[in-house]
Amino acid sequence: MFRYILKRLVIMVPTLLITSLLIFWAMDLAGGDPVDQILPENASVAQRDAMRQQMGFNDPFMIRYLRYIKGIVTGDMGKSYISGEDVFKTFMGRLHMTLLLGGTALIFACIISIPLGIYTALHENTWKDTAAMVFALFGQSMPNFWLGLMLILLFSLKLGLLPSGGTGGIRYLILPSVTVGLSLAALLTRTTRSAMLDVIRQDYMTTARAKGASYQRVIYNHGLRNALIPIITAIGMQFSYVMTGSALAETVFGWPGIGRLVVESINKRDTPMVTGSIILCCVLMAVINLSVDIIYAFCDPRIKAQYSSKG
Amino acid sequence: MKQAKKTIDGEVVYRGRSMGQETWRRLKKNKGAMIGIAFLILLILATTIANFVYDYDTDIIAMSRDRFLAPCKDHIFGTDNMGRDIFARVIYGAKYSLFISLGSTAIGLLVGLFLGALAGYYGGLIDNVIMRLTDIFYSIPYIMIAVVVVSLLGTSTMSLLFAMALGTFSAFARITRASIMTVRDQEFIEAGYAMGLPTWKIIIKHVLPNCLSPIIVQTTLKVGANIISASSLSFLGVGVTPPTPEWGAMLSDGRSYIRSSGWMCLFPGLAIMFTVLALNLLGDGLRDAMDPKLKK
Amino acid sequence: MENVLEVKDLVVRYETDDGVVYAINGLSFSIERERTLGLVGETGAGKTTTAMSILNLVPDPPGVIAGGSITLDGKDVLSMSEKELEKMRGNDVAMIFQDPMTALNPVIAVGRQIAESLVIHEKISSDKAMERAKGMLEMVGISASRSYDYPHQLSGGMKQRVVIAIALACHPTFLIADEPTTALDVTIQAQVLALIKNLIDNNHMSMLLITHDLGVVAEVCDDVAVMYAGRIVEIGTADDIFNHTGHPYTEGLFNSLPNLKQKGEDLIPIKGLMPDPMRLPEGCSFSPRCPYKTEVCNSSCPSLQLVEGKHYVACSRLGFLKK
Repeated sequence: MFRYILKRLVIMVPTLLITSLLIFWAMDLAGGDPVDQILPENASVAQRDAMRQQMGFNDPFMIRYLRYIKGIVTGDMGKSYISGEDVFKTFMGRLHMTLLLGGTALIFACIISIPLGIYTALHENTWKDTAAMVFALFGQSMPNFWLGLMLILLFSLKLGLLPSGGTGGIRYLILPSVTVGLSLAALLTRTTRSAMLDVIRQDYMTTARAKGASYQRVIYNHGLRNALIPIITAIGMQFSYVMTGSALAETVFGWPGIGRLVVESINKRDTPMVTGSIILCCVLMAVINLSVDIIYAFCDPRIKAQYSSKG
Repeated sequence: MKQAKKTIDGEVVYRGRSMGQETWRRLKKNKGAMIGIAFLILLILATTIANFVYDYDTDIIAMSRDRFLAPCKDHIFGTDNMGRDIFARVIYGAKYSLFISLGSTAIGLLVGLFLGALAGYYGGLIDNVIMRLTDIFYSIPYIMIAVVVVSLLGTSTMSLLFAMALGTFSAFARITRASIMTVRDQEFIEAGYAMGLPTWKIIIKHVLPNCLSPIIVQTTLKVGANIISASSLSFLGVGVTPPTPEWGAMLSDGRSYIRSSGWMCLFPGLAIMFTVLALNLLGDGLRDAMDPKLKK
Repeated sequence: MENVLEVKDLVVRYETDDGVVYAINGLSFSIERERTLGLVGETGAGKTTTAMSILNLVPDPPGVIAGGSITLDGKDVLSMSEKELEKMRGNDVAMIFQDPMTALNPVIAVGRQIAESLVIHEKISSDKAMERAKGMLEMVGISASRSYDYPHQLSGGMKQRVVIAIALACHPTFLIADEPTTALDVTIQAQVLALIKNLIDNNHMSMLLITHDLGVVAEVCDDVAVMYAGRIVEIGTADDIFNHTGHPYTEGLFNSLPNLKQKGEDLIPIKGLMPDPMRLPEGCSFSPRCPYKTEVCNSSCPSLQLVEGKHYVACSRLGFLKK
């Protein structure tokens, strides 16, 4: 198992290198003349050239790229064109806000969708099942930033119950996490439902009942444990979605996370910040994906065996 | 729809239905899917008429008089901060969402099909290289991809199209590859070789038709997903920008006036939701209609 | 000797979207203490439904137990509450299933699955239960060191032994074995069968063995019941059935077995197919295929008549068989 993790980490490195290379190259093309951002407008051509030379902007592409990569490891990814702040520090400073938002949204989604999915699977084809599926369908069809706006309209403006943006306490976390969590909940409900429907038909469920296990025990100890496998897979695949959703919710609610950082930076043409934050986002996602795979292995002993034997 | 009857040697023989006919027959039974199709046809008709019959500048902008009118008899969706009728803009603007999502899905589909087919059929090194590449695009959220593309190409409809195609092709590549790998080793393919058919013919006539159903379903669902993505990106300012009447851009406008004129935020969003809902209903219906394991 | 199990006039049907399936149509038999009854019949005769009915585990939609009674150890199974049923299952009566590949939960260690029965019924701690589970594994011929293995790590025969260990963990008095060796290789079949027989004898248990294999019946069973289209057509001791066959269907089953001593002769299958359980024929269900049939057979469905001792046959033309 340990060897598997090591192997995955080793594979992760070249993938991330290629990704960062692509991004660096694209942003390099797009970035425009960096010197314009640093020197005042009336600087002479000579001063510009000198600055470029000094900052290493005249060096060939690969040298600059490698220098940048070295910078990632040491924590120096350049400074923002706009604020002059350190890119790495800024990103890390806002990372926990996004994780907080994403994590809360995920917990919210699981609390709703897993029980609901189980319930609808056990009551297949009743009106309750149909109603829940309709709800899930609507949830998956609406753009989550619009949901955020509608929630603000209802809860902040009309009812005055919750703040419409910013940070400051649990109250500020509620609407943003519901916004991100609801569409996730819609998807997870459908996934849970179909996973449970599959599991219920399995023979080992009958074996368990023949042992004298109570209905509840059969559903949870035997059924859910097996259904969790496709559910976790789905959650893992949705992490990319949660990141995106966070960016949108962060914009709507003024939540200071990394998603909003990326969007603001692009709107301000702050190239180093955009480059740095996107690359760091990719690293983050690779780490999350690996963690999900490991959790997945712990849930399904067959996969664990595969990982351990392949080494 | 009656089955075709033939008489052969005096015995009545029923002609089997083609897969397309069978799918359509099963689809018709699904009320949700039918509602979805009806809605989409209506929307396409409405926006086509609006775009051909009316000219945006003269008929809609010029008509703007009163600003910030709440929904009323003359303006069923109200008017916005420049006095433009929101209903007209929503219908007119449908073309952007439809064009961008259909276009990006189509490009993504073609590229994904091609790459996935190569990877699935030949396996080995080709498979590995292609899948590493698609994995990179699969795991990066579309917002990041769009941000990079837009940095390079600026904000416009075409750059948005390109960015979203980049975000779409990987899913199709995966599905195609998986379907092909399941089919490729089956015996009827060997039979094809034994009969002397050339490789390309085998791929087109035998392998691809079996992969068709998951691809069709995914295409429908992706168009819906891309409508949401396109409007999200426009909302963030990374896609189509105001004053173009794209739904996401309209929501971005409306956000500034949400306190006073909430309807500016309501209707474009509803338009997005119902369009995507129609596509999801259709996609789900297709999935059920094409599943050979489903009873009834 | 008193009866461990008494089934009287059981009627079970499945109400599906495509129509009603008449799975069991007036089934009656009984099993005495410490005796084994083999229930023989082709696929679709209703054997598994019978087994599930005894545990009252017939899936509720679409299955309906429409009539009859089932008495286990003097208690009426069909009127028990869910709690009483849960106490009974695994404890007084246990079941072994046909397909060991799917009968075990893939994500729980085999030892724990055995221990679960003990935890449920004897309310002991899971550690103590694991200890006893290891003992059970040894009893069915598997090393206790494998108690933390997962099902996919065991062979088919070993998986079936685990299923047996689960069934016997709480020392039930009655075992239902639904085609326990059908899914196994022939050599393993013999081993598993011997194991089952051994355990039944040592623990003084009664057993209902469901099978379509007459050879298995001959090896293991004291009594035999032959089932066709949801009813018992012949029942008696093994000697009665094998040596004094009374029903045309039973005769047909024996005739269709290949016999080494008759090499070169044609196999004699039974003409026709089992009737569609949604559209059972009027009168005797076997009559369309019966070489002895007469007018009477088409109109009335015969009930079991006593031939001698414990041997009953449901046939209007009793006594006309070639033997």
